[in-house]
Amino acid sequence: MPTFKHRPPANPATPTRRQLLHALAASGSFWAAPALWAQPENAINTGAAHAGSTGATGTFGTESRLIVVFLRGAYDGLSALVPHGDANYYALRPSIAIAAPDGSAQTTLKLDATFGLHPALAGLLPLWQQGVLGAIPCAGSPDPTRSHFDAQHHWELGIPGKSSSGNGWMNTLASLRGTPAATKPVAVGVGEANPLILVGTAPVQLVPKGQAATRQGAVGDPRTREALMKLYAGQDSLSQAFRNGADSRMQTAQTLSADMAATGMDSAQMLAASNGAGNPQGLLLDAQHLGTLMRQDRNLRLGFLSAGGWDTHANQGAASGSLANNLGNLARALVQLRRDFSQANDVVVVCSEFGRTSAENGTRGTDHGHGNTLWLMGNRVHGGRWHGTWSGLAQGNLHEGRDLPVHHDFRAVLAQVLRTSQGLSGAEIDRLFPGFAWDKSLDGLMRA
Amino acid sequence: MNPSIVRTPFLNRRTALQVTAASFLTWAVTGSNSAQGLGRSTATATSADLWRAVSRVGYGPSEALVRSVQAAPSPRAWALQQIDLARAASQSPPRLAPDLADFNAPLPRIFAGARAEREARAKTKATAGADTDADASRRMDFSNPRAPEHFSRTMAQQAAAWRLTSASQPELENPLLARMTEFWFNHLNVYVGKGAVRPFTGHYVVNVARTHALGRFEDLLLASARHPAMLLYLDQARSVANGTRGPQGSTRGLNENYARELMELHTLGVDGGYTQTDVRELARVLTGWTVSQSDAGGFQFAARLHDTGTKQVLGRVFNSEAGPALKDGSGSGQREGEDAIRMLARHPSTARRVCLRLAQFFVADTPSAALVKALSQTFLASQGNISAVMRALLQSAEFWNPESRLFKTPMDFACSALAATHQAREGDAGGRAGAGSDIGADRRGLVLTLGFLNNAGQPLHGWQTPDGYRTDAATWLVPEALTRRADFALALARQTPALDFLLPFLSEATRSAIAQEKPALQAGLMLASPDFMAK
Repeated sequence: MPTFKHRPPANPATPTRRQLLHALAASGSFWAAPALWAQPENAINTGAAHAGSTGATGTFGTESRLIVVFLRGAYDGLSALVPHGDANYYALRPSIAIAAPDGSAQTTLKLDATFGLHPALAGLLPLWQQGVLGAIPCAGSPDPTRSHFDAQHHWELGIPGKSSSGNGWMNTLASLRGTPAATKPVAVGVGEANPLILVGTAPVQLVPKGQAATRQGAVGDPRTREALMKLYAGQDSLSQAFRNGADSRMQTAQTLSADMAATGMDSAQMLAASNGAGNPQGLLLDAQHLGTLMRQDRNLRLGFLSAGGWDTHANQGAASGSLANNLGNLARALVQLRRDFSQANDVVVVCSEFGRTSAENGTRGTDHGHGNTLWLMGNRVHGGRWHGTWSGLAQGNLHEGRDLPVHHDFRAVLAQVLRTSQGLSGAEIDRLFPGFAWDKSLDGLMRA
Repeated sequence: MNPSIVRTPFLNRRTALQVTAASFLTWAVTGSNSAQGLGRSTATATSADLWRAVSRVGYGPSEALVRSVQAAPSPRAWALQQIDLARAASQSPPRLAPDLADFNAPLPRIFAGARAEREARAKTKATAGADTDADASRRMDFSNPRAPEHFSRTMAQQAAAWRLTSASQPELENPLLARMTEFWFNHLNVYVGKGAVRPFTGHYVVNVARTHALGRFEDLLLASARHPAMLLYLDQARSVANGTRGPQGSTRGLNENYARELMELHTLGVDGGYTQTDVRELARVLTGWTVSQSDAGGFQFAARLHDTGTKQVLGRVFNSEAGPALKDGSGSGQREGEDAIRMLARHPSTARRVCLRLAQFFVADTPSAALVKALSQTFLASQGNISAVMRALLQSAEFWNPESRLFKTPMDFACSALAATHQAREGDAGGRAGAGSDIGADRRGLVLTLGFLNNAGQPLHGWQTPDGYRTDAATWLVPEALTRRADFALALARQTPALDFLLPFLSEATRSAIAQEKPALQAGLMLASPDFMAK
């Protein structure tokens, strides 16, 4: 995607929002205390209050949360969900194939006759065996682009082929899940400054990556807060944004710090105790923060995380190496997410903008491909198995003779997830993904 | 910021983001007096022009920069003068403090340092424990000889120190040259975090982005294509003709990464008219382009690795057999690549893409089609002469329109804060004679700045992907991020006396709010004020 995509302003607000805005701004105490965001003790009440507000939240209340983990850079799904049963796999990847399962270390962990897990994903094996983790090996976008930036753009808008700006589908989903006059965020993103998938009219909480999220900074310091608020006391949009940000930041920092204090350990100790992983950082720390924030604020139903570093054009390694390290980090983060998001209708989606070439390239890596493995985790997921069509790696069955085909449009996958776990209607899903088509072959993806 | 003007009906963050961006940047939302609002107490054209000149041609007002502009007949005249001055400066080496000089050493020395680093690390298996050398370079202290196992990090830190000081001290680097260096580095981005690239990043900034900043685009592009930083970043160095014999009898082959991004990002753009086949064919053309550890330019054409077949890129045929061998013996195989790169550089889609990005960087998030078209025409008519394009840009009414604002990126904000406080901070530390003699007093400021840029999502030289960072308000105007700017400003300006020279650039509301605060806070509050958030 060219980096000069324009993002024209969203449509003007409805009168309701404008009135709400002025009322809030005029109240004067907008930023004084975190009164606008849900307090932990209000969590249950807030959830109940939402229960009957829109059809979408109907019977799902606070137990229906969706987490999207986007792997930016086109992760190599064939190294994660390994088609060990296909002889072509080993012919196509002489240097970087993961050894066939034989029970020893550094070999594929067998799931069935067709597929296995990369050994670095060993932490996910129990989840697979419990039936809460499933995969769709040939999912993706129907658009043929092999540009990271274009493809990510399509995924985040939910509109393959659309190159102009628009709203992120998770933001539209937030609008559907929230109340019409909502000022409290329903969606939260941790780690990225401003991901497109969350762009839109619904309020969104954005939390920086790492430990920065736990610090209030100058707006939390009584010596400086008042002075800053005076500078940003106006009714103009920048001042409002600043006050907005101050409030949100203080609340987030307090929540994350309180959570660490309450458990009596800092997060590093917690992780070391649980799986010997040492200091959490990167995706794992962000996943922890996401879990904490969404646990403390039951208004938050939608969470977004991302991780980069997947674009393995050279020396990607096999059972060990740079990709394996990344997969290990991913597994730890997903295990953490499972801890925090295991209520009845919680679903975690792990996806990437496209896959990689089936064959290795000239530099022991892989180039941009097409179809890729999409993972789903949740009690409502028909886990312990892979779903959809798998046509193998014979060249005649590859997209343009080189890539996995896309047998299952990512929108059709998400539609199954949203219908079942979030109770969205077909019309509502169509608002997220205009013009998508249902894929009946995926009707068994979720448990009824 | 005059509180009476801009009414936007939003509290919600996401829309606040986009509409704030739009309304913030075009002051005519309610038709109020457009000369009020961000930053100026007097509505004269000159003071608006002064702010525009220092904030966009440079990185923001410093006492030295303001004096320099005021010495010219007008800010507009000053801006145009900078083009030739910057061009001349780009042909001389940068002024480097002695303790920063290593990062711009000749490439063979950098290769040697990287080799020694690998060997040292293999021997000592350097751990992440306490390490005075590592800490020293993080503290920007380059006064002691460095341990070989931290060579790459030292190179990267030195380069960062140079970038930040150049951007904030006009006596050290021509401000327009600093700006163009940033622009071109971002357009032809390499990532300092990729191990193989790290030690070469600073050399790339100076010798590719800076040297060619105001020359011909195709020369800039060729310089980028041949530099080890780019050859390693996008795997071109490893891309060889399919079936080439590698070590231990393995076969190696093509890597499409660089060829793709060369067309998609550096030149034509994703809709610029190329296909997947063109990507592959261009990759074939470029086989043999790889690094050399002994060549002064770090480049060699390895004929043995080159695909000698016939290729076709964008309809043009490339065939090694067809052309004459060059005097230096490199032969026409290398010529194919040069011809292909020049072809891409001269393509009309490239002119449009590059000029659009220039206009977005200097003029507006959504520059007018007319401006972009005019710049593109200048680009093509001048055969890609960047000075000519910048002359047209800096003469355009759109650039000088006081109603049209750009929200500062974190880099803009950080450098403008460094610039504004430089003299006060230097004086504070006992003052050192001679700009650039030592980064001494600036050390704390540089460390703070790097941390701020990291947390803000725009780490210096650290954008991971080849598309480079965006510069529009919709990307960077995030509510929480505004508060982090305040943190940085207050920390940087701690113990700095009030910056009186900034007062004329601040609104009445800001000035009166700050006047009531403790003197020790005033400088920081100036930098944290709404007036200082845009340029």
